[in-house]
Amino acid sequence: MQTTHIRNFSIIAHIDHGKSTLADRLIERTGMLTEREMKEQVLDSMDLERERGITIKAQTVRLTYKTKDGETYELNLIDTPGHVDFTYEVSRSLAACEGALLVVDATQGVEAQTLANVYMALEHDLEIVPVINKVDLPSADPEKVKKEIEDAIGLDASNAVLTSAKTGLGVDDILEAIVNLIPPPSGDEKKPLRALIFDSYFDSYKGVIANIRLIDGLIKKGMELQMMATGKVFEVTDIGCFQPAPVEVPQLAAGDVGFIAGSLKNVRDVRVGDTVTTTENPAPEPLPGYRGVTPMVYCGLYPVDSADYDNLKDALEKLQLNDAALVFEPETSVALGFGYRCGFLGLLHMDVIQERLEREYHLELITTAPSVIYHVHTTAGEMIAVDNPAKLPPPQNIDFIEEPFVKATVIVPNDYVGAVMQVSQDKRGEYKSMDYLDTNRVMLIYHIPLSEIIYDYFDQLKSTTRGYASLDYELADYQPSKLVKLDILLNGEPVDALSTIVFSDQAAHRGRQLAQKLRELIPKQMFEIPIQAAVGSKIVARENVRAYRKDVLAKCYGGDITRKRKLLEKQKEGKKRMKAVGSVEVPQEAFMAVLKIH
Amino acid sequence: MEYGVYIHIPFCRQKCSYCDFSSIAGHEADMEKYTDALCRELAAKGETLSSLGNASTIYIGGGTPTALPVPLLAHVIQTVRAVVPTTNNLEFTVEANPGTVTLETMTMLSTLGVNRVSIGAQVFDDAILKRIGRIHTSQDIRDAVRWARAALIVDVSVDLMYGLPGQTMDILKWSVGSSMDLAVTHISVYGLTVEDGTPFAREKAAGTLNLPTEEAEEEMYDYLAETLPKFGFRRYEISNYARHDFLCRHNLGYWQDRPYFGFGAAAHSYHNGKRTANTKDVGAYIKAVERDESPAHTEETVTREKHIEEFCFLALRTAKGIDRQKFSESFGCEVESLYPKTVDNLKARKYLEETPTHFRLTPLGMKFGNQAFAAFLL
Repeated sequence: MQTTHIRNFSIIAHIDHGKSTLADRLIERTGMLTEREMKEQVLDSMDLERERGITIKAQTVRLTYKTKDGETYELNLIDTPGHVDFTYEVSRSLAACEGALLVVDATQGVEAQTLANVYMALEHDLEIVPVINKVDLPSADPEKVKKEIEDAIGLDASNAVLTSAKTGLGVDDILEAIVNLIPPPSGDEKKPLRALIFDSYFDSYKGVIANIRLIDGLIKKGMELQMMATGKVFEVTDIGCFQPAPVEVPQLAAGDVGFIAGSLKNVRDVRVGDTVTTTENPAPEPLPGYRGVTPMVYCGLYPVDSADYDNLKDALEKLQLNDAALVFEPETSVALGFGYRCGFLGLLHMDVIQERLEREYHLELITTAPSVIYHVHTTAGEMIAVDNPAKLPPPQNIDFIEEPFVKATVIVPNDYVGAVMQVSQDKRGEYKSMDYLDTNRVMLIYHIPLSEIIYDYFDQLKSTTRGYASLDYELADYQPSKLVKLDILLNGEPVDALSTIVFSDQAAHRGRQLAQKLRELIPKQMFEIPIQAAVGSKIVARENVRAYRKDVLAKCYGGDITRKRKLLEKQKEGKKRMKAVGSVEVPQEAFMAVLKIH
Repeated sequence: MEYGVYIHIPFCRQKCSYCDFSSIAGHEADMEKYTDALCRELAAKGETLSSLGNASTIYIGGGTPTALPVPLLAHVIQTVRAVVPTTNNLEFTVEANPGTVTLETMTMLSTLGVNRVSIGAQVFDDAILKRIGRIHTSQDIRDAVRWARAALIVDVSVDLMYGLPGQTMDILKWSVGSSMDLAVTHISVYGLTVEDGTPFAREKAAGTLNLPTEEAEEEMYDYLAETLPKFGFRRYEISNYARHDFLCRHNLGYWQDRPYFGFGAAAHSYHNGKRTANTKDVGAYIKAVERDESPAHTEETVTREKHIEEFCFLALRTAKGIDRQKFSESFGCEVESLYPKTVDNLKARKYLEETPTHFRLTPLGMKFGNQAFAAFLL
């Protein structure tokens, strides 16, 4: 296919604004799948993705479209992950496109995350095609949304395509707009090969498969290729594109989107953002924008049953095959024994990994509260990166501590500006700016510690704005903060896995809340259990779990043994999910208690 | 083979506020239909029972058996006697609510061969009786016991509850004393458990239940465990105390792995390695029996593993505990070889003690019985 007849595009949309449904319609309309083959939301293939209604791994699909004037075009839809944890992955997907559909819900308007992605697309000089979705709903107000797009983003929305992905209305107009408005790719297949990896995944038969966009040059089977960042050399054994099932093609040329596989066994060799070139005639410069993986959030993962330690390791290694962003290393906790410290792109990424470990590998896990990476400057003049509160050096050795801050963008109806300001201030946010997107909606920008975002900032925003606030954030910088370690003692013994690093002024308050929460979560035992929160040697809070008085049930009604058995089985099951810390049985949830206090 | 027979009467004059058991209030029109169905189910099983051996215990429970009009209850008892072959030393118990019996009831029971009544006294305090939804007064309890005796029923048991809303230690002591005055032969004691879906569960959620503190409830438990033996009541099972030989042999059968056959809605049976339960729905029960279909709703095969577990946790409810010889005869191995960790662990916690013939719970072990029982799940 000549590059003049290729269009590469993404879809930018807020969660629930209908991206996946629209993708389904485009696939259906271009006849890539028969209706029978059409499953709801074809592109979100992981079970978890479908349950959560979000895209975690990006996918691509090649559509063949015959325009109204009879020309046939190759349209490559590059799906992007829809969550703030995966901003870098989104940026690489966008870099593989010349244009993007900006899908906005006609009943909701522009949201913070959409905005962030649009700005990112504009940075990559993408042509943005505004699409207003869900116009079939009674509460749709396309004119207002058009104005919002113009005011908030500065895009001309007068020609925005009005559509309903649900009913199929306007889908043809979108396809025509893609062909007419988005420019064709401009590469040169004579030049040395430069292909951008925007996604990769592990296939148990073919090894690592890289999704690529060719900027210049050509790839054929059997060629020897090289990753410019990792240096990995490999021979191409498979080459193809997704329609949406993988289909082999003889070659991929400049402008094309497709996949390649070779003798690649490790996803770590195939980094998103890396440039593929040939060993024979390598490109002088890689494509711009490559960045190594930098986890933002760390937590400890421990098997409830220590016999599962090796199984946990195997499972993490298997997940890592398909997830270059997951990092882990062995860790030991006095309280929890042997486990792993794991790094994630964000909270969602952490949740997903945890859930997959439990669901797909049947592991019972204890997860410690997530932590950001603190830069601890010691009195000896060193800087130590601390991702585990238990590893914080003693206070006398600390000169000062820096913590990561983010630029947080919040979009909210103007009635809730006060609420957002209150929550943000409580969370140590520093006000930066406020802009009206239209007469009703406001965009606020705060400089705020990442730890507060992880803790419960978004939950608080959601609850104080009755769900209207949308949030996006990006890492801004590290700044010094007054931070201290808050320890928890159970039965007089410090439990390292329950330690957290908190803002000093809030330490006593957090300590009280955490102790109260733990009192609710730790079940009664044979003896009274004091729960104490301490900063250094100073106890800031104390609660008690009272001792069990008795535990026996009386009657057996008319020989109903089955009911008795069920009660006992429940009791035994509950005990299995507990971890013995010293002499105290602690349930899994207790280790995440810090996230559950407000 | 000897076995037990249980007959369920699902009717009550009024449902108590703590009760989540299978019973219904205010369905008097259904009673006749129900007893007809019950007698039909019994008659259909008669031959099978005869071929298996004799019943050594019969127990009519509920609900409230005495909520049935006297002629209907008499009809049920006569049918049982006609259909079920029994041993010479038959124990025949009927549960009675003091608010639903008269001398006439007791006379009828005695005349038809009932030799044990179990009276739901709960507490000898009229305010609390009312508070917990009972339909009788403490004077009604006294009358019921006296009428039983007048009808020459010697073996009279009362149920007492502790941990009730508004109940104090003094009220519990008064209840125990009142029972002594009546010279009952058997006492069952039950701590109140607030079960989901009951009026008490709603009150508890609303914060209006006014339960004694856990410490106070524990004191009541301790008081009963210490005091009743002083009055000559031997604790032969976690919640059951008997004078002399007046143990409830029917209930012991449940703990000692003996077979039993249940009749009526929600009744359970255990025989030949299977546990079955009839449907709880009275209407569905009547319909099934009328069509000569089985009213059994669930059937569970007791695997070897389950059998071992149940053998142990049920036997541990009794004062004697697990009969080691019977265990090895039944399962071909020793308790301690199958449960080495459990036995050691429970012994170390002073929950379990070993005699040459038995493993049994200590008084402490009884107090934390659920933990000991759960430890015997394989």
